[in-house]
Amino acid sequence: MSPYRVIDLTAEIGGLSTMVLSGLGAEVIRVEPPAGHPTRQRGPMLRDDETSSLYWAQMNAGKRSTTLDLEDERDRERLRGLCETADFLFESDAPGAMASKRLGYHDLRDRAPQLIYVSITPFGQTGPKSMWAASDLIGHVSGGLSSLVGDPDRAPLRPSVEQAYNITALNAGSAAMIALHARHLTGHGQHVDVSMQAAMANTLGNARLYYEMDGIVTQRAGGARAFADRATRIIYPCADGYVAFVRVPASMIRLHKWMSAEGADPQFDAERWAGIAIAGNNLPSEDEIAELETEIERFFSARGAQALYESGQQFNVMICPVNTMQDIVDSPQLNARSFFDEVDDPNLGRLKVPGAPLNMSATPWRTRPAPTLGQDNDHILAHSHPG
Amino acid sequence: MTSNDTPGAQVFDGIRIADFAWVGVGPNATMQMAFHGAEVIRVESSHRPDTFRSGGPRPAGDSSLDASAYFAKFNRGKRSVAINLGHPKGAEVAKRLIAAADIVTESFAPGFMERIGLSYEEVRKIKSDVIMCSMSMEGQTGPHAKFRGFGLTLQATAGITGVTGWPDRPPVGTGVAYTDWVATHIGIIGILAALDHRRRTGEGQYIDLSQLEASTLVLDAGVIDAANTGRVAQPLGNRDLRYAPHGVYPCADDHTGGDRWIAIAVTNDDQWRRLALIMDRQDWLESEELCHAAGRLAEQDQLDHGITRWTSEQTVAEVEQLLQAVGVPAHRASNVRDAHEDPQLAHRNHWWPSDHPVIGEMSYESPAWRLSDTPPPMPAPSPLLGEDSEYVYRKLCGYSEEEFQQLIVDGVVE
Repeated sequence: MSPYRVIDLTAEIGGLSTMVLSGLGAEVIRVEPPAGHPTRQRGPMLRDDETSSLYWAQMNAGKRSTTLDLEDERDRERLRGLCETADFLFESDAPGAMASKRLGYHDLRDRAPQLIYVSITPFGQTGPKSMWAASDLIGHVSGGLSSLVGDPDRAPLRPSVEQAYNITALNAGSAAMIALHARHLTGHGQHVDVSMQAAMANTLGNARLYYEMDGIVTQRAGGARAFADRATRIIYPCADGYVAFVRVPASMIRLHKWMSAEGADPQFDAERWAGIAIAGNNLPSEDEIAELETEIERFFSARGAQALYESGQQFNVMICPVNTMQDIVDSPQLNARSFFDEVDDPNLGRLKVPGAPLNMSATPWRTRPAPTLGQDNDHILAHSHPG
Repeated sequence: MTSNDTPGAQVFDGIRIADFAWVGVGPNATMQMAFHGAEVIRVESSHRPDTFRSGGPRPAGDSSLDASAYFAKFNRGKRSVAINLGHPKGAEVAKRLIAAADIVTESFAPGFMERIGLSYEEVRKIKSDVIMCSMSMEGQTGPHAKFRGFGLTLQATAGITGVTGWPDRPPVGTGVAYTDWVATHIGIIGILAALDHRRRTGEGQYIDLSQLEASTLVLDAGVIDAANTGRVAQPLGNRDLRYAPHGVYPCADDHTGGDRWIAIAVTNDDQWRRLALIMDRQDWLESEELCHAAGRLAEQDQLDHGITRWTSEQTVAEVEQLLQAVGVPAHRASNVRDAHEDPQLAHRNHWWPSDHPVIGEMSYESPAWRLSDTPPPMPAPSPLLGEDSEYVYRKLCGYSEEEFQQLIVDGVVE
């Protein structure tokens, strides 16, 4: 993406979209207010202060920074000039807010016809909820996913890292890339309207389909697969944490072999369980399932998560550790693939950072540090007026 | 490319994808390109059908491979060719298809494409500027490359499950194959970046996408934090490290029955005052501690208790309307019925209709984005297994009618 220039005006809902384009080589320019982007103060912090944001370092890797005061018409004009040199603009203000500063899509279209203008909002640019107040949590619940997440006796849940924002940002990245190819067809940019609610609504698996076809409202089922009117347990405790294991019929004979090989003397009838579908007719009784799960739990509880992963997978059993962030840092797989990079961050010093989310042979991912405030002012603003 | 504004022209007209991928991630990625005119050909086999073809929901009593609405959801606008890749002649057919394609996608366990002679090295001999994207669980290399899994369990390996739950209970994960909707977009972005590179330079390339690596992107600062400070993010229920009150609160039963919940997220002091005002909590308004996030974070138990009492006496629609009217972030915790009937999603025509010859009338998700100038036409329903075999063998692979009939007899076309 090295020929392309991206102007990034997004809040938290969009930061990941432009970070991915930056990793793929695009020149991404963070336009910040003179006091700095608010997420420069967002935790977690590297040090015990309010200026060493690891969140900023992660979400702005490889970007440039320039400061403009968009409350000031002179700086707004500078931004319009910068748009003439850019291929993409990403923004996440409330619908109409950019237009009120004469920075909306229609304000820029004549002056920068090549510009792909990506607007990322909680509900989209128009419609009955388009002006609703929102946040990551609101986006998450508005798409329906929380109804499939959490224990049945407590409230529906969101993941404790901001998934709705990040999934939405990745959708915006896909949309922007389609619009880039559209520019080859039409010769000009266009307005891309991305909705967080719609992005989350697309994560419902088969559950909405079961409602439309069979009238079933799938319910959250704890550490289990939410599946129409029945659920299959996934999460089991082990010696040092938890593992995810799905009791699919094909796994049952392999599980039996594995347990036998480790001297656990399994009592369940593998042939029988392999013949029982986990959905449909002839389902096992609650008591039978409980008895089987107790036996599996006893086996898992005596072993650690990583050991279960390594040995279970040798028997082709679909089992995974419930990894913590530290487990991910220590992952033999990620480290064998050199997933982590080191960068010299001008604010934070040497940092260990997650690297390429995909390996491209001809146009490899670039991992670079996040910018200091206004570090590229001279370079960028000097060149923002064509001619 | 020259400017070409012909009505009806689509963004990916002329781009052909030989899609060997199956289940969620690969098919979801290629479908977005099919929507915009790419000819996506699913390479399938009744010997090893896509798992989703056996899934549900499906019309009552129909167990056929063409009756799964779940498969339909991931494969609209595509073609399907039946090629038995386990048959010695199957690989030859696949090579001819690749020769006619721009992009090859696959999501087999690493090693399979190599075994049937379709590694990237072989594929580029057939088509020198091909873009090939492998989308396996954990990448093509490394000690866990061949480990088995799917989105339901990968979210555990990828760290999502561990931060989803209540602090006093085991983690739960999301209940769906969550990482599918993350890795899909990394796949789309990567393939389209490669296609753009090819337009500019004529050079193809190979993409090794690890669904695990792609999925760690959405962990926010969780990984970078652990890597540099050793801190490990914990599940917080619905609470937030920065905002309070921040939760999902029970509401009174309504016409839909029970289990109704409202999410409320107070993200600044102004919203806090408006919440306290509408709840008529003079004591909260007068408290100096509660004027600031730090004070509210320290009093979360008290705040959650008070809000729960207030929401429990009203329906979810009432609370939602009251709070949004004064600009406090609030929304019902939509269930799948709410999502299906949501007025905002309806306004965006989010659920695209389809009339499938076996499944009948159903709606399926559309992209989360709307393009002002190049909106795609309504896509065709998902293909029946092998629906386009004759077209692919005869027109794209160049087999004569006799050869095609012989391949049917040989058991390749199945």
